[in-house]
Amino acid sequence: MANVILKNLIKRYGSVTAVDNLNIEIRDREFAVLVGPSGCGKTTALRMIAGLETVTSGDIYIGDTLVNDMAPKDRDIAMVFQNYALYPHMNVRDNLGFGLKMRKFSKTEIDRRVQEAADILGIHDLLERKPKELSGGQRQRVAVGRAIVRKPKVFLFDEPLSNLDAKLRVAMRAEISKLHRRLGATIVYVTHDQVEAMTMADRIFIMHNGTLQQSGMPLDVYNKPANRFVAGFIGSPAMNFIETRLVREKDTWFIASEGFKVRLPEAFYPRVEPYADRPVIFGVRPEDMEEHDPATGSDSGNTLTVQAEVVETLGFEVFVYLTCGPHALVARMEVPKHPLTVGQTLEVDLKMAQIHLFDRETSQTIV
Amino acid sequence: MVKTFKSIFFYTGAFALCVPPLFVFIWMILTGLKTGIQNISYPPEFLFTPTLENFRAVFQQYNFFRYLLNSLIIATLATAISLVLGLPAAYSIAKYRQNKIGIIILIARMTPFVSYLLPWYIIFRYLKLIDTYSALTITHLIITMPMVIWLMVSFFESMPSELEDAAMIDGCSRWQSFLLIVLPLVRNGIATAAIMSFIFSWNQFLFSLILSGPKTKTVPVAVYNFISYGKIDWAGIGAAATLIVLPVSIFAFFVRKSIVQGLTMGALKD
Repeated sequence: MANVILKNLIKRYGSVTAVDNLNIEIRDREFAVLVGPSGCGKTTALRMIAGLETVTSGDIYIGDTLVNDMAPKDRDIAMVFQNYALYPHMNVRDNLGFGLKMRKFSKTEIDRRVQEAADILGIHDLLERKPKELSGGQRQRVAVGRAIVRKPKVFLFDEPLSNLDAKLRVAMRAEISKLHRRLGATIVYVTHDQVEAMTMADRIFIMHNGTLQQSGMPLDVYNKPANRFVAGFIGSPAMNFIETRLVREKDTWFIASEGFKVRLPEAFYPRVEPYADRPVIFGVRPEDMEEHDPATGSDSGNTLTVQAEVVETLGFEVFVYLTCGPHALVARMEVPKHPLTVGQTLEVDLKMAQIHLFDRETSQTIV
Repeated sequence: MVKTFKSIFFYTGAFALCVPPLFVFIWMILTGLKTGIQNISYPPEFLFTPTLENFRAVFQQYNFFRYLLNSLIIATLATAISLVLGLPAAYSIAKYRQNKIGIIILIARMTPFVSYLLPWYIIFRYLKLIDTYSALTITHLIITMPMVIWLMVSFFESMPSELEDAAMIDGCSRWQSFLLIVLPLVRNGIATAAIMSFIFSWNQFLFSLILSGPKTKTVPVAVYNFISYGKIDWAGIGAAATLIVLPVSIFAFFVRKSIVQGLTMGALKD
């Protein structure tokens, strides 16, 4: 087991910069998830760790060894690919044992380790089959098995679940998490699916346009996004954004836009001071909106009058697509006592302690 | 209704395509089975007592075994060398997108062969290689190598690159991943390329005519020698031609499935 350090890592293809000055330190035994939209450089970064792409500049350390110029086979890593990349002409047993055979392990040791991996993954019955005779989920297991027989220092996963159907994906997600605990291995996992990132990671690293946007524990990133991109990327349905202005009336701060005006909590005042009368982006998560209850809610300046456009009922909660003047919003609420109808006008309260404001120019978080 | 029309079209087309070559083929075999007199009679005789005399004569008068052996050695060598050099070349063209090199190889193949003859004759005479297996094998490579390369490029291109990535991480060098993972997966293509090379080399006439001699004469050239100043030994030509074509035809018949697969499969990604 080992830590992985990326120092000032840059990868250029001609004039295109795929990875731009990436600095990441993944700790020993950590489940690290690199997440971002497609083309953000996460897979390139992973392939550089694996040694499948050369480094334009910067350093990669695995353990305490600088591996920049080391061949993939000498880095003591294993990788699970999106399309599994099982060798089609070998049966499952040979697929699992191939890496050990290349490293000149004895036959008995190879057999022992293949058995062990088959035990862990429950693929005993498949050992004599060829990859094409396996279902997607079974291939996935074999691909993971091929990685674990090697007992490498670091496991690399490149979008391993994206070819599976939704149900299987959830099951494999849990299984990979379990495997991580059992093996106590360092894992670098790449995905574009923020749900996978949130549910599996010890720490997530969010990338966009080749640069690292934010890193941290999943909940910290969720609650305190560093910028507008992270705020919009993490969370489903995505955060609502509205272009607003900060307005001061006497000693009270408001954020206002057409058909929309809410009062800011006093705790935010010191931080918004410099943005007086300037445009800012207001952000609120769908779950931080709730139906206004006239019985309890005295008007604290956080109530919006909105219209319901679409109502999606999921059973225990509803997604309500709302319009507020020219702005569109999504709210995620408990199933209301009186069913909502399309076009109905209603009042919603924003949980003001959970709102976000972003600088319009730099996209950085203000509060 | 549409189905009937389709199958009528299909069989008419297939018939139109097959009859001319088959006609020539059958004519050739019949020529070999007739006597010299029967062959030049007019109108042609279709009912006659076949004779194997011509086949016996071919072996006795012309040392035909020697020529068959020469052809076999040269075709085998040319095929083997094209595979050994062509497979890595094709892999490299596919993998690193060296399309320019691919085009240059294609140009070498498309240049009319006649234009090679004079320079080659001069070069090989200077090197004292006329009438050697080396000269013939080397020149046949201009036919077989581009075929191997161009057939295999599409096979290598359709291979998912993750397989090699996986192999490299599993402990292979680039060569090992080529030998242990890539080649076994394109064996259909290799079989096709080998068969086609062999057949083309076996049938090659022009280079062998100029560069071979008494020791290394190949069968197509040997047959050409049946045409002498005074007479044309039609019966002998028919018998010899049959002997040349027969082994290749039988061979191709048995491996036709893998040839068709090989020629079509590289183009389609599954």
